[in-house]
Amino acid sequence: MAESRSCDEVLKAAFPSIVQKDEVQKEFSHFLVSKDLLPAITRYLHTQPGLHGRLTLLWAVDNRPTRNTYGLHYLFTLEPSHRWMLLSAELAGNDRLFPSITPHIHAAQWYEREIRDMFGLIPQGHPDLRRLVRHEHWPKGTHPLKKDFLWDHVLGRQQGEHHFRRIEGEGVFEVPVGPIHAGIIEPGHFRFSVAGEPIMQLELHHFWTHRGVEKLFEQQTLTAAVPLAERVSGDTTIGHSLAYCQAVESLLHLEVPRRGRYLRSLFLELERLHNHLGDVGAICNDTAYALPHAHCSRMKEQIMQLNDRLTGSRFLRGVTRVGGVAIDLTAAQLAEIVAEMDRIEQDFSELESIIAHNASLIDRLETTGVLTERTAWDHAVVGVVGRASGLDQDLRRDRPFAAYDELPVKVVNYRYGDVRARMRVRMDEIHESMRLVREVRLKIPQGPVAGEPSRVAQTGEWALSAVEGWRGEILYMVTAGENGTIQRCKVRDPSFVNWPAIQWAVIGNIIPDFPLINKSFNLSYAGNDL
Amino acid sequence: MFRILKKSLKTGVVTGRHPPAIQPSEPPAPEVRKKASAFNRSLAIREVDTGSCNACEMEMNALTNPVYDVERFGIHIAASPRHADALVVTGPVTVNMERALKDVYKQTPDPKLVIALGDCAINCGAFKGSYAVTGPVDRHIPVDVRIPGCPPRPADILKALTDIQERP
Repeated sequence: MAESRSCDEVLKAAFPSIVQKDEVQKEFSHFLVSKDLLPAITRYLHTQPGLHGRLTLLWAVDNRPTRNTYGLHYLFTLEPSHRWMLLSAELAGNDRLFPSITPHIHAAQWYEREIRDMFGLIPQGHPDLRRLVRHEHWPKGTHPLKKDFLWDHVLGRQQGEHHFRRIEGEGVFEVPVGPIHAGIIEPGHFRFSVAGEPIMQLELHHFWTHRGVEKLFEQQTLTAAVPLAERVSGDTTIGHSLAYCQAVESLLHLEVPRRGRYLRSLFLELERLHNHLGDVGAICNDTAYALPHAHCSRMKEQIMQLNDRLTGSRFLRGVTRVGGVAIDLTAAQLAEIVAEMDRIEQDFSELESIIAHNASLIDRLETTGVLTERTAWDHAVVGVVGRASGLDQDLRRDRPFAAYDELPVKVVNYRYGDVRARMRVRMDEIHESMRLVREVRLKIPQGPVAGEPSRVAQTGEWALSAVEGWRGEILYMVTAGENGTIQRCKVRDPSFVNWPAIQWAVIGNIIPDFPLINKSFNLSYAGNDL
Repeated sequence: MFRILKKSLKTGVVTGRHPPAIQPSEPPAPEVRKKASAFNRSLAIREVDTGSCNACEMEMNALTNPVYDVERFGIHIAASPRHADALVVTGPVTVNMERALKDVYKQTPDPKLVIALGDCAINCGAFKGSYAVTGPVDRHIPVDVRIPGCPPRPADILKALTDIQERP
């Protein structure tokens, strides 16, 4: 605590004009700043050695109906202490310009373009002002998250073409891939510039699956929106619903019973397990090594069938609810889970030694798709990808949620940032998750699994929550509206920050390795596009 | 080598080790079966995601794992719509994917089947009414078979796909 206070003092000493808000939540410091100071302060936070701030979330709010302003919020994680620091600025009245921080903080680039598309606010000085979420055929002036834009508005269509960055020269070719790919995966467009086989440049053109999730949240009530959160990214059902529920619970001042928190951790680890098992197999499969893929997808299927037996849903849907969990497990069911974990761990360990002894596989994975620690840091990369590139961060340890304050997690960390490191992170996390599942069974207390809300949230109150899903940190910011409605819900899947980093990891690699690199990131399109 | 053999022998055959289909899906219409009879129980499928949450994709992927092993029924996943007999469409058809879906439909050679997989593809599911959604799928292209569920279990998908292949 003393350390975090001193961070606040350092910032206040450097910028005397900023105002600290004290009444808000204790977990982070909140400062009000004028918009002109934003670039200077954010740069200071980002580069000052003692602070070392990582841009964690950047979001805008349309406050015009009540206060005639737009709010801009910049959330930083100060890496040494893992403390959050929030900077808020307001754009008054008709002011639609705000200074871009992208020239100093690379991680802000997509956030600022997203704000421009969704709110029509223009980041001045942003080096790339092409459209991001709205494809070029969307009519001019459609900014869906403005309060005067109807959620069921029928969009027109205009002529327009997306302009890719071009590399010109002798022997340079462009290879377009997508939006419909060869495998059973989601839509996205990749534009490669190649000279021979090595990739000189990759540009992403995503947001094909943009479904208007954040606007749909605004049509829901706080307690009824859990099914929508589960469907933000289907493979992260528990991660997203848990992050959403935690935000609502802190709005409602609702304490989750201890047994409920343990069960939440248990289900989150089950989700991590089936996804990691599938990924390890899929990485091997993309080097045409089909045997581990067959074994891994068999084990993944075992866990999904276990999920189905326990909860009636292979994806654990309908498990999380505001206040706790909807399903309690008996002692016999917990024993069944642990027995299944023991079988799969034995099975997986045998497979691991087969994989580790395959020299041609390891040769293919090593030094492929290297994401250096510096690039990862500049992009504020999170989750598995970050931990494979030497960024030592895991919310389960750094900001414990659910039952992780009582279940210490050993964080896996590798430095090389290549495909092999990302696979190793997943393999080690599989063992760690199984250990956690066993520990949950030993430590889980008796008692209720869910609490009931006793209070309604005041209009304009807001809360932030963060969950370490299997991909990385999932963030939700929920603002309450009148009568238990949602005024604004900002969703951030880890894919949104990790996608731009892939553009750097592929440079110099050959095109046939791209599917492998992409698989080792395994990012969600739906969670990114919202 | 010994390790691999030992592993395979120890694991044994896992195909078919899954709970039976439970979601009662409607039997396909006679004209659908008639259309499918042209493929002689060999169905090449192209999967198109038009904005799903990726759960339906995961279940389609699960069909190719050793437990469901969809290829034993002559069903295989084609890499291009030009090689496909049937399109499996998931998701509520977003504004951005509308053109791509129509293009894929045009690129698929006739005769072709269109299978709407999951609640989103059938009625837009949780995303109904959003500004960014123009679906459901049958608003844009004719749909022959509907497999409900959010997402449908692989066993249900497998049953629906094999039902289509039965002789009329």
